Amino acid sequence: MRDRPVLPRLRERSPVHGLRRRGLAPLEVFAQSVSGAAPSAAMAATPAIVAASAGGGTVWSFVVATGLALLIASCVARFTRRMAATGGLYSLTAKGLNPGAAFASGAALLVGYGMLAAAALTGGATYLQALVARLGGPVSVWVPVGAVVVVGFAAGTLALRGVRLSARVVLLVELVSIVLMLTIFGLLLASPPAGPDLPQPSPGVGGIVAGVLPALAAFIGFEIATALGSETRRPFRTVPRAVTWTAAVSGLLCVFAAQTQVVGFASVPGGLAAQDAPVPVLAAAGGWPWLTPLLDLGLTMSFFACALATTNALARVLFSLARDGVAPRAFGRTHPRFATPHVAIAVVVPVLVVGLAATVAAGTALAPLLVFLLTVATGGFLVAYLLVCLAAPVFLRRIGELTWSAVAATAVIVPILLAALVAYVLASGRTPVVVVLAALAAAAVGWFVWARLRRPAEVASIGVYDETVAADVLGDPGRAA
Amino acid sequence: MTAPRDPLPLSGRQPRAVRSALAVLEEVVAAGPGITAKEISAALKMPQATTYRLLNLLVGEEYLVRLPDLKGFALGRRAARLAVPVTTTPPTAARAVVDHLRGLVRWGVHLASFGAGQVTLVDPDPDHPPSDAALLARYPQVSALGRLLLADQPEWRALVRELRVFTEHTVSSTSELAARIDEVAHDGIARQCGELRADRGCLAVPVRAPGDGRLVAGLALSGPATRVADPNIELVALLREHADRLAPLLA
Repeated sequence: MRDRPVLPRLRERSPVHGLRRRGLAPLEVFAQSVSGAAPSAAMAATPAIVAASAGGGTVWSFVVATGLALLIASCVARFTRRMAATGGLYSLTAKGLNPGAAFASGAALLVGYGMLAAAALTGGATYLQALVARLGGPVSVWVPVGAVVVVGFAAGTLALRGVRLSARVVLLVELVSIVLMLTIFGLLLASPPAGPDLPQPSPGVGGIVAGVLPALAAFIGFEIATALGSETRRPFRTVPRAVTWTAAVSGLLCVFAAQTQVVGFASVPGGLAAQDAPVPVLAAAGGWPWLTPLLDLGLTMSFFACALATTNALARVLFSLARDGVAPRAFGRTHPRFATPHVAIAVVVPVLVVGLAATVAAGTALAPLLVFLLTVATGGFLVAYLLVCLAAPVFLRRIGELTWSAVAATAVIVPILLAALVAYVLASGRTPVVVVLAALAAAAVGWFVWARLRRPAEVASIGVYDETVAADVLGDPGRAA
Repeated sequence: MTAPRDPLPLSGRQPRAVRSALAVLEEVVAAGPGITAKEISAALKMPQATTYRLLNLLVGEEYLVRLPDLKGFALGRRAARLAVPVTTTPPTAARAVVDHLRGLVRWGVHLASFGAGQVTLVDPDPDHPPSDAALLARYPQVSALGRLLLADQPEWRALVRELRVFTEHTVSSTSELAARIDEVAHDGIARQCGELRADRGCLAVPVRAPGDGRLVAGLALSGPATRVADPNIELVALLREHADRLAPLLA
């Protein structure tokens, strides 16, 4: 039985060395994932969008979307219980599928996190402007521009100064914002506007299904913990839990928010779907107009925490691609003292902030910009989720640990995600989103072709992760061999 | 998000699960590094799904690690804490260096090894008996030698079982301890003034392997608590010099 092949020599240091290994506490990692999903923002904004398709069945659309997010989380956990990655889903996908698919996932994540960070900055600026205006401040394009620049660079600085610090800031901000939201929605649910319930048009199963895609978009970013694998204490326990719990908590909060709003507008013709800003309307109807500035404050904070969490993730995806040898190698450098991918952060943050600030300063309306950015981000995440769910059983088979439940989860989620992707492309058929996505996809293909030609060995072995090093093993088999 | 900390009463099939987990650990030790989940499951005649769950659990707790191919398993560093550390007498040349330092200072000079993730005194000063060895091993955070060990480990919190208070100077909060540990990591010297015994204090510097800088031992001076708080520039220089001379002898 002992004719095992000679063990490969273990590395002396991890391929992703330079980041602070095993430093983050479970709560800090969880907070990053929750902030990425930004449930507060989703609670206020998404139900009305979902209601446009699902009407009275809005709550059910959210329940289904939560189930899907939990299934995605279960596929992700097949990997994160076994490996600690820094590149998020793409590092995981690389262990199951071929380098092309891993590369596609990497590109999709760059688009997803980049656009989500920009969207979070835009969202934060939007609600900050609303808050300033409500408190009697000036209404000018410079308020959002200033907010984007200040918060964008503050997020960059925090991300640079260490993942621990930014994780704690994110935890605090997100906690305050969720408590604010729960208070507001609790008050609104406790006293729905008087009046007889009007019969709502039945959405039917088709309506509920159509509402699932926008509801699922409320979860994007919930997998951010996967990019912090090597930096997490006890990662094989903490990261899968953080992702699963984020899906569950975000889902619960959204279902609660959707229920509040559906009940609140039950006596209004057209229901929730006819509302542009449902929560302020409910607050005014309930006789609590002062809730609206609180709502603006909570949303601003949630969006900014999201911007910070996504900046961390974006920089780490780029860092991992660089360590893999397919992105410029400078992105793979880490700061000697802060132990963060400082070059990646220093390049990504200014590009994002300046680009976004220029767009806003040029007079682009904030609300459509936010929707546009979120839509593009959702496209990226759908691709990344699809690939990682597809990769899970292949990975398990490769390491000889395949189970029926893993196959079943993939068999259920992959067709649904494929359908969601098709629906997504069809829904954005005549919008600039498709053009942008096509351009981004073409750029990614061009990048891949370049990498295949110039760095074939690196592409073939894509997928660095924080592998076990000699010091982790008792008795050090690699050295003894 | 974490499971309740209270020890739950064992119920139902849990005792069997505990036995199975121990059997898995034993099988990895017996078979040697590189054994796969399938092989463990076959050797123990345990259902595959159960084996995978137990393995993931043990990997999550870091008693086991997955080798870089992600298929094979080996014992993790943490498993060392299941065994009693073996005290080995340091080589004569190393003892001579420690004795040399004893001849130069009027403080107690102790040498400790950090193998197995514990403070083990391997050459305590016979003229200045140190604190109880079991106490030093159990509460690393109150001794200068123990803090050297903690400062070297990103997961030092796992080694601090209980912040027991010995004197009015004992560090009793995790945040304060974290600040002290950061100081040690930054300065490369650990101190403790009257935290274990009110009248005694300790200074300790690391002994690192010449090649890879791995922490192998700690060299400590113990003396009156009031003197430890002083800068002691010459004394520290002397201590560091002897630690450097010990490095090639102990690694």
